[in-house]
Amino acid sequence: MSEALLEVSHLVTEFDTDEGVVRAVDDVSFSALAGETLGIVGESGCGKSVTALSIMRLLPQPMGKITSGEVLFKGRDLTRLPLTEMQKIRGADISMVFQEPMTALNPVHTIGRQITEVLLLHRNYTAQEAIQEAVKILDRVGIPSPDIRMGEYPHQLSGGMRQRVVIAIALACNPSLLIADEPTTALDVTIQAQILELIKELQSDLGMSVILITHDLGVIAETCDHVVVMYAGRVVEKGSVYDLFDNPAHPYTRGLLASIPRLDTIPKAKLSVIDGMVPGLLDLPQGCRFENRCPHAQPSCTHASPLIEQVSTSHEVSCFRWQDL
Amino acid sequence: MSESLLKVRDLKMHFPVKEGIFLRASKFNKAVDGVSLDIAPGETLGLVGESGCGKSTLGRCITRLYQPTAGSIEFCDQDITHLGSHALKPQRQHIQMIFQDPMESLNSRHTVGDIIQEPLIVQNIGDRASRAKRVLELLNIVGLPARSVTRYPFEFSGGQRQRIGIARALALNPKLVICDEPVSALDVSIQSQILNLLIELQQEFNLSYLFIAHDLAVVKHISDRIAIMYLGKIVESGRSEEIYRNAQHPYTQSLISAIPVPDPHRKVQRQIISGDVPSPIAPPSGCTFHPRCPSAMSRCSQDIPHLDSPMADKSHLVSCHLMD
Repeated sequence: MSEALLEVSHLVTEFDTDEGVVRAVDDVSFSALAGETLGIVGESGCGKSVTALSIMRLLPQPMGKITSGEVLFKGRDLTRLPLTEMQKIRGADISMVFQEPMTALNPVHTIGRQITEVLLLHRNYTAQEAIQEAVKILDRVGIPSPDIRMGEYPHQLSGGMRQRVVIAIALACNPSLLIADEPTTALDVTIQAQILELIKELQSDLGMSVILITHDLGVIAETCDHVVVMYAGRVVEKGSVYDLFDNPAHPYTRGLLASIPRLDTIPKAKLSVIDGMVPGLLDLPQGCRFENRCPHAQPSCTHASPLIEQVSTSHEVSCFRWQDL
Repeated sequence: MSESLLKVRDLKMHFPVKEGIFLRASKFNKAVDGVSLDIAPGETLGLVGESGCGKSTLGRCITRLYQPTAGSIEFCDQDITHLGSHALKPQRQHIQMIFQDPMESLNSRHTVGDIIQEPLIVQNIGDRASRAKRVLELLNIVGLPARSVTRYPFEFSGGQRQRIGIARALALNPKLVICDEPVSALDVSIQSQILNLLIELQQEFNLSYLFIAHDLAVVKHISDRIAIMYLGKIVESGRSEEIYRNAQHPYTQSLISAIPVPDPHRKVQRQIISGDVPSPIAPPSGCTFHPRCPSAMSRCSQDIPHLDSPMADKSHLVSCHLMD
């Protein structure tokens, strides 16, 4: 078993809003192993992006803050690091790729300037060296005629190309951890396949760990080694990708897997659904958060929150009834 | 083959691209470039393609939100291509649309009741009391509580808003509903609820759908027939089972192979096509797919292929030189 590169334990992130304090991430623990891909899957508002922003300490200020828990990266707790130290890690040792490449890139700066910025900040390159290195990286992520692209602006590139530039910026300093937040959601399927393949290839070449945040179970199945399933701010299940797809233990995971139309299902057959909708973070149920939508809920589920239980050595679930299902 | 409800023949929609100081249209964006299709009553035709392939433009031409450049649209045996707005109005009752983003397609300052009854007011149907009754009936059909009438769109979740959009589309008892990416913006667990609802409604009211989407798995689930679009043209069409099991066009094959399968045991060898979709303003010569095609031959860059039925299943049409 490889070593954990990043260990998130009992992370709690809260936002101060006009309507009160919202706990977007509630007692979340997981670890990302060196050289592996960890998937975080969940629906909008489940806290998967806030978890990523908490790790990067990029929460919107002053509303968002980490109120407890720790994020151990190479033995150091990122939540307690002074800001200057954190800045040295961000973009160099841990990088992030965002969903929408058009908003992640600065529209008034050339591609070249945006890549060299990272290199000049974190590496002791001269301007000339930085430019040479940037061209190399653009070539590495599969951008044709990179020396010409260096002088172009984001709007001159297609969506897939822009995402390649964002990946190039993220990888410029050879990070040991890449956090990709819905990197392919805004892209077409054929482009999505190209980008996922690129991330996989770069990962095996550079030996980095990847945390892939997505709502697409297909993407998870194809790229991840381990998976964390989140629901309404909490982890409901985690395990290896095989544990999760072959033997889902939590009713939510089961429901998700059953509800996706697949190419081999009978056309127009009724899809199984998860009734109702995700509870709002301001009025969360007292007990299990999935209780109001769960087909297996019983009275005890409304009173207390289920603890994390071991299904097998690699597989954990947070449900009172997983053994009866 | 049953009578067609909708017959589209060689439809073209070319948008002028204005350039230079005199804003002269020297180039055209050929968003839809010679599309023919048929939809029978009660049938779902799925229209699949990547962004910019012209699928939404085609949908908007059929509802006559755009005035097509050439070709014809026949609905219920009437040519509606050039009808003026006055003559078109009665036909518009029968063709309705559901949009992708339910937040942007609902007026945030109107109550749900106003939104759903607006088509009835526009078409001058019923009086105040009968319209109110119809709104309640529609809310019930799409599975929303009656008290929603006085609420505003922001009070609803994405899935519920899409239900409001569906109720509005159904208000006039349409025959054809153009669904433009109706579930793309929704979460997985909500997506299946909406798909089930659309299928139920179709069976209950004998609706025809033109279901526009980029997710082939979703389209295959809901459609009787599928048409694949690339750069303004249909490259392959046929019964959904046939397309999925027996895709002939290299583009369709790569689309199918690009879909991530939710099964970690299936490590498929992907057929990944390189490059991006070219600009519809200056499409490649010959077959527009040839620069990305893994099996392109020399003639592909010169001759334009035509839709043909080379298969045993004669309803299966392919536009590719490999079929010759």
